[in-house]
Order: sequence, then C-alpha cells, then structure tokens
Amino acid sequence: MITVYPFELGNRMQQLTDNALMLKVKSGDLDKLGLLYERHKKRLFGFFYNLNHNPGLSEDLVQNVFVRMLKYRHSYSGEGSFLAWMFSMARNVRYDHYKKNDNRFDDLTQVEYRITDNINIESDMNKRDDLNMLQRAMAKLDEEKREILVLSKFKEMKFSEIGTILGCSEGAAKVKAHRALKDLKRIVQKMQIQ
Amino acid sequence: MKKEEFEIVAFDYLRKTLSEKEQKDFEAFLDKHVDFKMELHGLKEAWELMDKPAVPETSEQMDNTFFNMLSAEVEAQGKSNHSVQYYLDNIFHWLFKPQLAYGLLFAVLAAVYFWPTPNNRRDSLDTIKVADSETEQVREKLVLTLLEQPSANKRLEGVSEANKIGKVDDQVINALLKTLNKDLNVNVRLAAIESLTNYVEHPKVRQGLIQSIPNQESPIIQVTLANLMLALEEKKSIEPFKQLLEKPELDTTVKKKIEKTIKSII
Repeated sequence: MITVYPFELGNRMQQLTDNALMLKVKSGDLDKLGLLYERHKKRLFGFFYNLNHNPGLSEDLVQNVFVRMLKYRHSYSGEGSFLAWMFSMARNVRYDHYKKNDNRFDDLTQVEYRITDNINIESDMNKRDDLNMLQRAMAKLDEEKREILVLSKFKEMKFSEIGTILGCSEGAAKVKAHRALKDLKRIVQKMQIQ
Repeated sequence: MKKEEFEIVAFDYLRKTLSEKEQKDFEAFLDKHVDFKMELHGLKEAWELMDKPAVPETSEQMDNTFFNMLSAEVEAQGKSNHSVQYYLDNIFHWLFKPQLAYGLLFAVLAAVYFWPTPNNRRDSLDTIKVADSETEQVREKLVLTLLEQPSANKRLEGVSEANKIGKVDDQVINALLKTLNKDLNVNVRLAAIESLTNYVEHPKVRQGLIQSIPNQESPIIQVTLANLMLALEEKKSIEPFKQLLEKPELDTTVKKKIEKTIKSII
C-alpha cells in the first residue's frame, strides 16, 4: 500500500490545480491568472530578490513573468510541472532584463555597492554580519550557480523540476548544486580568513 | 560510493528529502569515511548560512499593477469577440485532419479507462472546492482594487465582479457601502445598490443601505432606495426617509414617491 502524506497530497493537489488553472487561462478564462499570481508571487519575488537584493526591480520582474505568461499562454501544453514552466519563464525574464539594460551583472555590482555602504556605516570590517558575507559570497559565484542555489532552497521544488528549468537531468542538477555550494563555502572560508 | 554519487546523496541529505532508511545508511557511510563527513560538515554550514536572508514582503503597489494589467487584458479580450465565420473555419480545419479519426478513437478509449470511480471523483470535488475558494479570494481582491480606481468604468467593473462572489466578506461589503456613499459617479452608486441587493439578508448590508438614505442627493438613487425599502418592507428606513423629506432641495416627484413609500411601509 502506498502511503500518501498530507503535505504530499497538498502539493499534488496544488500541482494539479496549477496546471488546470493555466489551461483555463489558455482557453480564455483570464481571471484565473489572478489565482496563480496570488499563489506564486511570493515565491517568484523571493527568487529574484535573492539574486539581486533589489525589491523594486524584483517586483517589476515578477510583473513581467505574469505578463509573459499571458502573452505565451497559447504555448502552454499542460504537460510537466507548472513550477518548472513558470521558473523557466522567470529566468528568461531576468536575462532579457539584463540584456535590454546592457548590464548583465548589475545585481552583482549593486550588492557590492550596498555592502561598501554598510561597511562605511559600521566602520569596522569585523562587524560584518553573516548576511553581508553571504551576499558578497553569492555575488562572486557565476550566474548559473547562484540560480541553482536559490532554486534548491525552495522546499517545494523537486530537483527534477530544477533540472527541467536548467535544461539538464535531475542527477546533473544535484551535482551542479553540490558544486555550487562547495564553491560558496570556499568563498566564505576565504572571506573569514581575510 | 563514488564521488559523484556522494554529491547527489549529500544534497538530498541537506535538503532533508532522504527517507529514514536512506538517511541512516548515509550517516553510517559517513562514519566510515571521515573525508566525506568533513566535506559535508563544511557544506552544511554554507547551506545553513543561506537561510539567513529575510525576503521582504511584496508591496500593495505590485498587486495593484498586476490586477490593473489583468483587468485591462480581460476587457480587451471581451472586445475582440471572434466572428461565427472564424469558429466555422476552425471546425472545418480540424475536421479534415487525417489524425482526427485516431484522436477520437483514443479519446473514447481514454474516457472509458479514466471514467471517475467514486474515490477519484471525491478527490476531484475536493480539488474543485479548493480552487473555487481561492478564486473567490482572488475575486474579492480584484473587487477591492477595482473599486479604488480613478476611472468610473473600472469601478463599475469592480461592482460587476462583486456580483460574481457567492459569499461576500465584511471587507467587500464595506467597500461596496463606501462606494454607495462616496462615489462621485451616479452610475457606479446605482450599480453598488444593485450589487448590495444580492446580500440584503446580511444585517450589515441592510443597515448600511438604511444609513445611506439621508446622504443621497441624486433623485435616481433616492427613488431606487425607496423602491428597495418598499420591497423589503423595512420599517427602520422610515426615519431616514423622514430626514430626507426635511431637505428643502429634494425634488418634488421624489418627495411624493418617498411619502408614498413611507405610507406603504407603515
């Protein structure tokens, strides 16, 4: 007998209805996008915010994801995971934003700027907190590594979905995540020594 | 366990997605391989450090922008109704596809196979219930956002959305009553009365409608409220109507109508 835990059932129901809702949007019931927005706005905002630390820009990018969902609703097949489809779109929105503004790494420089600011305020390198250290360390990782680490922190996201978003297998996604975390650890250690 | 295998399992271990048995096996493996254990320890620190950042709350502005965009899309969609010719063309286009016969055959077989049993029918009903309740919540939010818009058309749209809500909560009732009392546009105020009529059994709605009587200056609103109170035979409305009658600027026809209403209610 297969045991189904309540949270699993919840996730499965959510997944089922996410797909069903997006199919309704596709068939012209646009109001249902509001429901998907309420369900996923925080998750998407968290994804962008953890990568750029800019709340205003993150909100704009969340908006762009939903605009794009509406625009490309006809291409939604209803097969596979809705979350993977949505986050693939979120990645593209992010890349397009940087491409359009010709500043692919502006989130990185912004983090550095913010931290320099904080250091000036505190006037003491030893008082940097874990958060600043993490932000600086994350900023030193390359794009894909930062993305995979942020995505893997979403508890409800399966690695098979992360693999779909990144265009690789589940196993490859786990190996990539492991190596990204290892790099992050190395950078943090280096900072602690300095 | 090879290095790559360790990398895969270690990440599942950090995310706590291993089963109890897998976790025990992995911990036993780590006890025998100190180098891997050390590596995992370092990774765990970095993993836990990633829990530190607090993500701020999203702003109300973001919600407003989204719902404005959505309502504009819905409106635009309503305007671009396809012609009958378009649908006919589409049907004929699909009818003459050779794969249609196979498709239909497959659909019939699938329907027989997936015909709901009592159990999965209940699951589907549960799912529909969850989705319905969430739709109601989103619709309420949409109503509240639309009623705050500067455009009268948008506010009318908000009132019409409110009509689709099965069970309204206090927030929506308050917003509709506020619209009835404060909106500058007569049509929006009229639409608000019409919408509130759906919930006259709710004491707050009834009370709100009665309280709004002396504040109304538009003859059409005054007459609509008089008709509504007459239909409800609401005795509590007599006093507010009397207050209205004392206003010198009251239209003569409306005055007669209200006097007649008061007599009928008594």
